[in-house]
Amino acid sequence: MPEPSRIAEEEGGTASDRGVEFKATLLLVLTLALVVAFAGYVLYARGTFESTRRLVLMASNSEGVSVGADLTFSGFPVGRVKRIDLAPNGQARIEIDIPEKDVRWLRSNSVFTLERGLVGGARLRAFTGDLDDAPLPDGAVRPVLRGDTTDELPELIANTNRVLANIERMTAADSSLNASIASARALVQRMTGDRGALSALLGSDEEAAKVLVAVERANRLLATLDRLATRVDALTQQAAGTLEKADARVFGDGGLLDETRRTAAQLTALLEDARGTLKKIDAVLVEAQRVGANAGDASEDLAALRAEVETSLRRAGRLIDEIDRKWPFPRDTELRLP
Amino acid sequence: MAQRPVSLSYPTERLGTWLYEPVGSWMRVLRFAAITLVMASSPATYDRTMRRVAARQIYLSAWQALPGFALACVVVGFVLMRIIIGTAHEYGFSQYAVELTVRWLVLELFPLLAALFVALRSGAAICARVALMHTHGELDAVGRPGSDALRHCLVPRAIGSAVAVAALTAFGCALALGLAYEATYGLSPWGVGQFLRISGQVLGPVMVLGLALKTLLFGLAVAAIPITTALSIPREPGFVPLALRRAMMRLALALVTLEIAFLGVMYA
Repeated sequence: MPEPSRIAEEEGGTASDRGVEFKATLLLVLTLALVVAFAGYVLYARGTFESTRRLVLMASNSEGVSVGADLTFSGFPVGRVKRIDLAPNGQARIEIDIPEKDVRWLRSNSVFTLERGLVGGARLRAFTGDLDDAPLPDGAVRPVLRGDTTDELPELIANTNRVLANIERMTAADSSLNASIASARALVQRMTGDRGALSALLGSDEEAAKVLVAVERANRLLATLDRLATRVDALTQQAAGTLEKADARVFGDGGLLDETRRTAAQLTALLEDARGTLKKIDAVLVEAQRVGANAGDASEDLAALRAEVETSLRRAGRLIDEIDRKWPFPRDTELRLP
Repeated sequence: MAQRPVSLSYPTERLGTWLYEPVGSWMRVLRFAAITLVMASSPATYDRTMRRVAARQIYLSAWQALPGFALACVVVGFVLMRIIIGTAHEYGFSQYAVELTVRWLVLELFPLLAALFVALRSGAAICARVALMHTHGELDAVGRPGSDALRHCLVPRAIGSAVAVAALTAFGCALALGLAYEATYGLSPWGVGQFLRISGQVLGPVMVLGLALKTLLFGLAVAAIPITTALSIPREPGFVPLALRRAMMRLALALVTLEIAFLGVMYA
């Protein structure tokens, strides 16, 4: 036989039940208030109620950037990534919302970088050199410079490997460094020998001895040159005295220069006389030319006369030849050879 | 003594029974959860008796549990936050400390803690009470047309448990945000802007919707599994402890599965 129905018990109400109902209702109201507050908190925290400006960054690669990521300026977030998509030119298009209160930190000359560290997501940073520059317009499109630590790692490792290989080659037994150290050791040993650094420089003691001999000879030569210079000095002094005397003779009173002046004056007078004589000779020559012209005319008449004589002679010749042909006289025309 | 007839189909029947029972029990859970959801969204369900039973359940599961739950949240949250923030500072990841604490406490730990709190405090009690009512035949009318047993006895308790899970989760999340701020910035007001921004980043639309859905599923699991398990036992008082054990195991399995599924969907 079952117990009296518990459902029937629950249908009855008591004073304590009303207190329970009130508390349950209070809890429900509080829960609803918390849910609404939580929703408002999330919306506010995500910047839903903020007035923003749009900035578009174009990057070659948006790897590591996520929606909601911050754009920082001097370490402080001034914007939030709203959307990432692929632009028609193949670049990543990152749309960022900048709250109006933070727009003043971004100017037309601002530079934007995208950096990826070894851990965490990518970091978008803004750098503004001149805060007095024109403000960044709404919807501005700017390129992003990438600074990727992980991208540089392979090159860094390759360089490190090259450096290590070089160090290994340098420290090998047959390396150039070891050979250089051995050569330096031999050089130092020679430098500590009898001939010192000279022997090390020239390669052997014999060569060093030759150099020393050459140095001694040079010293002797220098001594000879010194004596020669002394003699030259004496000769120079004598020449100076001679020059002084010559100067007195040439440029002094009644010297060679004065004599030369007088001779020149006499030569000038002689030249004047010669010029007069030449004028007279010119007149004589004019006369001679006139005589010459007359003689020329006479010569032309003589030429005509001579031509006539020659014609008469050729006629007389031809007449004699004619007589010889018509009146034969014996002639010896035979040629005899010696 | 009559001998059991030999049948070639005996192993197959055993296998069918072995497969059918868990599938059937989970199907009953889903069906009861659907009924609860439909009735909870229908204004006609809320008559005086139903409201009183639901209010009592909310009072027992949430109001009375709230101080203990808050204390547990403060202790567990404080310890975990000190570990997270200390480790982050040690490894130079201080900038991620707030994000980690908000993500783990608000989205993962405290909703699960709230569900476990309600399940252990009220789920076992509801299961035992419904099992006893079931063994005494008081719930025979459940499922019959015109019966008030479902509306006045089972659904109010289920709704009360689900609401309790939601209420404790809401309080836990608010407490977690406060604790995370205090652990990171102390009582200084200068960290509010940064904390708002970081928590805003973590609590994206997908995460908030996921949290709401997870809380609803946790509430339905805590509400439906103990009741359906209690209704599935034979009508003998000796099976009541068995119902309790099964209910708690299934509840733990369901909560862990939901949490893993949520983690997989959100972070995979």
